[in-house]
Amino acid sequence: MLAHFFESFGLSTVLVGFVKEHIQAIKPPRALWLDFPMGRPLGKPNDIEFQKKIIRTAFKMFNEKSGPVLREFSDVIPVKNGRMGYALPVELVIDKNNIGNIDLLVQEVKTEIEGLNKDYTRAVTFRKRTTLGASEMKISDYVNYISLFIKGDIPNSPRKGIGPVPLLKLVVEDLQAYYTETITFRDKIDDFEKIGTWFWEKTKAGKLILCLEAVSLKSENRVLKQIVDMSLITPRFWSEGPLPGTSGSGW
Amino acid sequence: MVLIPEMPAVGRGFISRLEKYTFDNPAWTVPKEAINRRVSIVSTAAISKRGDKPFSWLANNHRVIEKDNLDLVMTHVAVEYDRTAWQQDLNIILPIDRLEEMARDGEIGSVSKEHYSFIGSSDPMKMERSAKEVAERMKMDAVDTVFLVPV
Repeated sequence: MLAHFFESFGLSTVLVGFVKEHIQAIKPPRALWLDFPMGRPLGKPNDIEFQKKIIRTAFKMFNEKSGPVLREFSDVIPVKNGRMGYALPVELVIDKNNIGNIDLLVQEVKTEIEGLNKDYTRAVTFRKRTTLGASEMKISDYVNYISLFIKGDIPNSPRKGIGPVPLLKLVVEDLQAYYTETITFRDKIDDFEKIGTWFWEKTKAGKLILCLEAVSLKSENRVLKQIVDMSLITPRFWSEGPLPGTSGSGW
Repeated sequence: MVLIPEMPAVGRGFISRLEKYTFDNPAWTVPKEAINRRVSIVSTAAISKRGDKPFSWLANNHRVIEKDNLDLVMTHVAVEYDRTAWQQDLNIILPIDRLEEMARDGEIGSVSKEHYSFIGSSDPMKMERSAKEVAERMKMDAVDTVFLVPV
């Protein structure tokens, strides 16, 4: 859609995209379909030649005299069972009544965070960047903020202009990024299925977020319940559903 | 090959129901020769400079990313796509280094000073005004080519 706008403003466009049927329906002027998982339009991190191959293939369409033009990229990055991203197993749900001792879990997550800190710092030094920081909260404050919601509070947002629940979502994502930036560097893995399984099934931080989901599903706070219903806290979008605690009606 | 029918139920249902807009008379802008092309990237990954206002769920505005300040964060609402790749390499969603290399090698003319970001979860029909603002900024920088990169 944006391609049509820019083209009508006198700019030549080319796009890459993941959902072939949508490209076929919307008919952008020039499009390259990628049979890749979502989230990685240039394919493979730090693979310069692979990334350039995508750009060159896309830009070759500028030689076409008329459109719409749709090409398929020759390389495929396979996914498991049609899942275009990590899918948290549906059965991995914590009932609100079984979340256990949250204060103990909070301490365990803090210990876990501390244990990863050395490798996180190395990763940032090596990459010369970090993606943490959307919440603008200190790493040491993530867990306390999340735990307030698990205990049933809706605290005031410490950040001007952003409500407590939208900020919570950013904090959850920053917490995950802390773990995944660390593990991709420390263990040299680039496999979102393995990384997802590790984070959600092995770490205390994953368990903490599942507890947050459990409480939020029963929350009377409309916004909090909605973001969980819509799978915006936990990655359940690529599951066979239904989403836990709902009929999937959020979607 | 992953087409919509192969996707698991929740994602398949959601993606199937997305509005697919069509244009009756789509525009076609004749591209410049490769060597004269000045390229800008438009991402729908909801990335922005650290400190910028986060994207809201249905935001139809954009953020400007200067090539000299690539300290970026992401505030996309969706969590269904892999974020670990861009954490390892910004070029996965914003291939500025690749374009700069191609410009140095003469495969394209040059790379713009600015790139732009929208949030892909929003209704694209409501982005027209913001897209026009972006196009005007691009033209001020002599950009003639847009590389659209979703997430």
